Amino acid sequence: MLETKPTDSNPLLKVEGIVMTFGTIMAVNNVSFALQKGEVLGLIGENGSGKSTITSVIAGMQKAKSGKMQFKGKKWEPLSMIDALHRGVGMVVQESGTIPGITVAENIFLGETDRFCTKFGFLNKAKMNQEADDVMAQIGAKDVRGSMLTANLDFQTRKLIEIAKVIMKKPDVLIIDETTTALSQNGRKILYNIISAYKKANKAVIFISHDMDEILNVCTSLLVLRDGKYIRTFKKAEFDEDEIRTSMIGRELKGDYYRSDFTASRSQELALSLKNVSYKDRIQDVSIDVYKGEILGIGGLSHCGMHSLGKVMFGALKPDCGSVTRGNGNPVKDEASAMAQNIGYVSKDRDVESLVLQASVKDNIAIAGMNKYALGNFLILDNRENAYVDEQIKTLSIKCSSRNQLTSQLSGGNKQKVVFGKWVGRGSEVLILDCPTRGVDIGVKQAMYQLMMKLKAEGKSIIMISEEMPELIGMSDRLLIMKDGKVMKEFARSQSLSDADTIKYMI
Amino acid sequence: MENQNKKKIGKYRIQEIMLTLMPGIALLVLFLMFCIAVISKEYMLSLYLKIIFNEGVVLALVATGAVFIYTLGSFDISLGASTLLSATLGVMTYNTTENLALMIIVIFATGIGCSLLSSLLASVFNIPVFVTTVAMMSVLSAISAQLITSNGGALGGISIPATLLKGLDNPPFKIVVLALWFAICLFVFNFTKVGRKQKFLGGNPVCAQLTGISVNKYAIIAFVMAGIGVALGAFLTIVYTPSVTTGTAGSIGMNILVAIVFGGMPISGGPRSKIYSSLVGGFSYILLTNFLKIVIDGNAGYGISQIISAVFFLLVVYIASMNYRTKMLPR
Repeated sequence: MLETKPTDSNPLLKVEGIVMTFGTIMAVNNVSFALQKGEVLGLIGENGSGKSTITSVIAGMQKAKSGKMQFKGKKWEPLSMIDALHRGVGMVVQESGTIPGITVAENIFLGETDRFCTKFGFLNKAKMNQEADDVMAQIGAKDVRGSMLTANLDFQTRKLIEIAKVIMKKPDVLIIDETTTALSQNGRKILYNIISAYKKANKAVIFISHDMDEILNVCTSLLVLRDGKYIRTFKKAEFDEDEIRTSMIGRELKGDYYRSDFTASRSQELALSLKNVSYKDRIQDVSIDVYKGEILGIGGLSHCGMHSLGKVMFGALKPDCGSVTRGNGNPVKDEASAMAQNIGYVSKDRDVESLVLQASVKDNIAIAGMNKYALGNFLILDNRENAYVDEQIKTLSIKCSSRNQLTSQLSGGNKQKVVFGKWVGRGSEVLILDCPTRGVDIGVKQAMYQLMMKLKAEGKSIIMISEEMPELIGMSDRLLIMKDGKVMKEFARSQSLSDADTIKYMI
Repeated sequence: MENQNKKKIGKYRIQEIMLTLMPGIALLVLFLMFCIAVISKEYMLSLYLKIIFNEGVVLALVATGAVFIYTLGSFDISLGASTLLSATLGVMTYNTTENLALMIIVIFATGIGCSLLSSLLASVFNIPVFVTTVAMMSVLSAISAQLITSNGGALGGISIPATLLKGLDNPPFKIVVLALWFAICLFVFNFTKVGRKQKFLGGNPVCAQLTGISVNKYAIIAFVMAGIGVALGAFLTIVYTPSVTTGTAGSIGMNILVAIVFGGMPISGGPRSKIYSSLVGGFSYILLTNFLKIVIDGNAGYGISQIISAVFFLLVVYIASMNYRTKMLPR
């Protein structure tokens, strides 16, 4: 029997000896813990440590291979996530959990629209929309209306809808799986207020995050998982950043995390140029030059237009006016033209826009690099393709059972490495990285930063779009701050630059 | 614990192998069941096997081309109507010009043209392609019926001289045609950029677009491949029976959907699509329907065999989707 988190006599939730496997992969290996009333338990560990898997078992998303659970002293075997939510355990999942083609209200009351039907069977949409407005207002998101089409909303707003959908059921245990990375400062504030209210109401929260500052501030205790196994527990008084990190990754982090130099450096050669680009109300008259060997950081609040700007740079969004050209003056017309000119794009919405989840690691990496290994630029031979894919798996240290493993079975960090492999492997000269470290652990983050430094040294250009100001400051040669679709300020790399310097241009 | 893990890994691999082999095993079992049924009824086995072969070849030819459409996560219900129109126009062309080469050209042009029209309409009006194929099915069937009846085929259909293609109505020719078409499709599907991109597109169109893969371009390629399959099917239909009636190839569109799924193709298409599903599924489906026809005699036979086929279809889709779901990590 493995060591487990000490369990008190009367916990709200008790988990004993949970084992979960996916095919040949042991995702959770005999994990036990107890959750007390009023506790905010941080579940931490590297990507692939089993955090999402064990919480998905608790929330009824899937059944464990073995082990027992108790909720409020009774046997806990939820039939589904909906069943679990109705009985007191709600979960906000890591990736998108809303349906795009329906309204906010329809998403919130999915499966419960019957209660808005009149006695003649007609749906009272006005009533449903009004209640949805109230639900959104209750969590502090008044701007989000029930009648809005979900597909028109950005990732953060869709996340807030999911949060509202769970919160309105008033579950006793709230599970938040790596949600804050999808949220802006305002969204995070909303979530922290909810957590605080839970604590005060003597309910409990299981909180999964890779943001150390956030974990230390929000949680009252921490449980560390590694490779699916329980490692140790930290009480609030024992919180020590270095000790927590070491227990998460099982070793000390070596080498630089961010760049150790504080001098901006780049070639004089132009790599990508935007001239007077505007797109709907999201981008307004933006002109940017990116140079070879440069890391250009673009930061701001989630709605500032930087995510749309990344897509415009890649040709995925056609600007209403202005131009996007490669350094040699050739226009970037669409995604295919961008790729032909060695531009790569890593989307913020990884599972939807960057990967085919039911495809293998091989399929996902190989698809963008066919020009590199196809014989006569046409014929695909297994041996050449495998060698190409294996090289990316090795270079990026992607943890997978084989190149044929389904991408859906990988952890968030390893999925992100696959996306990097897809673009780096094909020799992209300009890489547009939209929130490249979203949902990845510190070990993988460090590996990503080191890869970016390597690419910079090779003369590649990197455009790093992020809502995490420390990483932008830590990595960028130049940092642009955007607000309301405009570039408000440009900062040069400097040791003295801090979050505080940038924030007034964002808000 | 280590032994337990090894056992689990072994069990998982066996499951994987079984699922891969299942369509082939099902084909073999159906073949044996069919032979036993024919022999037990004291029918002539060689005659029935010939029927299976001729029906199976046409279905497999059209289905092999259609796999490209199904890989995109779409389907074309108008393939039967396209086959009928191709055959109709081919027969009419020969009867007008007495030129065999021209007849073949018209068959191919019609097959590819009908298929392309569906995809172009979908692209122009920005609607799912299967919607346009539903409309096309009605339109093409109506045009064919009009042409057949107005050319004196109201009762027995229209026909070319029985001797014209008789020399081609033999198994070796049909096997060569099927083998060549299958080899071309196999090559394109598994060994070229086109096949890889189509599978990727079927898996996630949004991601594919952001990987520089044009949805419209590869949809058009898929429909051209399906159109060639339709033309080959129409040609072999005329080889087998020189006359074309309003009922010729009518049910092919739906049969292909069932056949391809029987052959191990995921109904949602994508990277796990398999080209061989058309061959295995095509012959499995023909064997199953003919087996049921033999076993269930009488007027109710057709209806019951349709119901049993439908139940089989749902069962196969259920098993395939269950297998997929167990492979998903929480997102």
